Amino acid sequence: MSPISPEAAATLPHGINLLEGRLFQANEMHEAFRILRAEAPVHWNPGTDRFNGFWSLVKYEDLLHVSRHPELFISSKGIGGSGLRYPPPGQGEGSSSIITMDPPRHVKMRRLVNKGFTPRAVLQMEPKIRAVTNTILDRVQGRDSCDFVLEVSSQLPLAVICGMMGLEEEHWPAMFDFTNQILGSGDAEYQARVAPDKVGTFEGATLTAADGNRRMNGFFRDILADRRAHPREDDLVSILVESEVDGERLTEGDIVAFCNLLVVAGNETTRNAISGGLIVLCEHPEERARLQAEPSLMPSAVEEILRWTSPLHHMSREATADTEIRGQKIAAGEKVIMWYPSANRDEDIFDDPYRFDITRDPNEHLAFGIGEHFCLGAGFARAEVRIMFEELLRQFPDIQIDGPPERLRSNFINGVKHLPVRLTAAR
Amino acid sequence: MSHRVEVDQQMCEGHGKCQASAPEVFEHRDEDDLSHVILDEVPDTLTAKVDRAIRLCPRQAIRWVS
Ligand code: HEM
Ligand code: SF4
Repeated sequence: MSPISPEAAATLPHGINLLEGRLFQANEMHEAFRILRAEAPVHWNPGTDRFNGFWSLVKYEDLLHVSRHPELFISSKGIGGSGLRYPPPGQGEGSSSIITMDPPRHVKMRRLVNKGFTPRAVLQMEPKIRAVTNTILDRVQGRDSCDFVLEVSSQLPLAVICGMMGLEEEHWPAMFDFTNQILGSGDAEYQARVAPDKVGTFEGATLTAADGNRRMNGFFRDILADRRAHPREDDLVSILVESEVDGERLTEGDIVAFCNLLVVAGNETTRNAISGGLIVLCEHPEERARLQAEPSLMPSAVEEILRWTSPLHHMSREATADTEIRGQKIAAGEKVIMWYPSANRDEDIFDDPYRFDITRDPNEHLAFGIGEHFCLGAGFARAEVRIMFEELLRQFPDIQIDGPPERLRSNFINGVKHLPVRLTAAR
Repeated sequence: MSHRVEVDQQMCEGHGKCQASAPEVFEHRDEDDLSHVILDEVPDTLTAKVDRAIRLCPRQAIRWVS
């Protein structure tokens, strides 16, 4: 990526540049956030010719404030990732999904599908989620080791969201591939489809995300045509095809964008909560032993795993009017970024925030955001993580990390690309 | 401060944090899977609990009415 200018770099507190994917890949962001919370809770992180600059928000209360004022801090000018630019690579202006939509249209679109995501809907799906989990775990039974990400943690969210959308199993690997390209675009591993000399460059990242979006959207245009020709009752795509907002049917672009969001948001986050959860449990053997001895602690352990891993590093907003946060003036048109891992370790909110405590109470973490854009899939994500660990620790009580995790280079997704594990007790 | 509270049914998605915080005031109804206010006037003794529900509601669906 193009470096920020030396003058701009000189303004960074302790030289911390949150545009650097490397900081997150090395898992060094928590120390950076600790310093920022103490010394520079609202600071300007300068951009470059290719990246927007932004006000960096690291305090829990500031994330609450921004999330709860969706008219003042809007989502339609970009929500981050992809180098924090707008419009994101491969996605022109025009059709957008709910995550980049503002009130009043936002809630109308969200209500088209939100009944499928309520706690009750999740409860009804639980037996299915457990069955899928067992199918996944059956595939690695009898083995000594596996890549936990490729074979386990990524497979459950993929099956759940693809199942809800009515996609046949033969298409799931393609969805996995597309979402990796879209959200992992900055990581050389997912740039396999660009020319070799572009791999690892900014252009390589842009092309990769664009290619992923183009392929995913093309796929969904075909699915849509199929659903129109052969209507189905219950899947999310069919619901969107039949839906109206303000007396108008959704356009093809609206529906495709919605489907794209559901697949990306459903996949790229939950898998990292599961992978990150296994890592943190292995790193804290006493907490793990407590959980294995007392499985009823699982729901609260899941909340702590979510707080600890914060699978999404940030969301961004744009101010629509001059305003102030913590006394700092923010001008209309400027970006702010909400850093979830920082809010989730804010000393003002959490006792002993650097302690992993599976019985932490209260634990009102912001891993799913809050307010207007509160994660639509939170109930499913919680159920998936819980059921996966219930089954995993029951069937593989001795599972251990067997080598360093390979982490994603991204300041957007707290990703684990590969995680070697030993499934059985060491002999 | 006024002592009436309401749940915006457009925003509520039945997460139940409100009922957990102030069961005297909020009730989750099966028929629509949403939260309903069951007290016309919230007594002073319960305002702190309602404030907590307002803070915790993931969808920002609860507010005091003046
Ligand atoms: C542990 C897993 C997950 C985490 C940490 C997570 C995190 C988030 C966060 C922080 C937001 C808020 C965005 C904002 O304020 O701008 C969000 C929104 C969203 N999430 Fe999740 N998510 C997870 C799983 C899922 C799943 C499984 C699905 C779908 C099945 C999903 C679908 C969505 C959608 C559709 C939105 C946009 C909501 C809106 O803009 O109204 N997420 N997610
Ligand atoms: S906490 Fe909010 S979203 Fe949940 S039931 Fe109560 S009002 Fe509805």
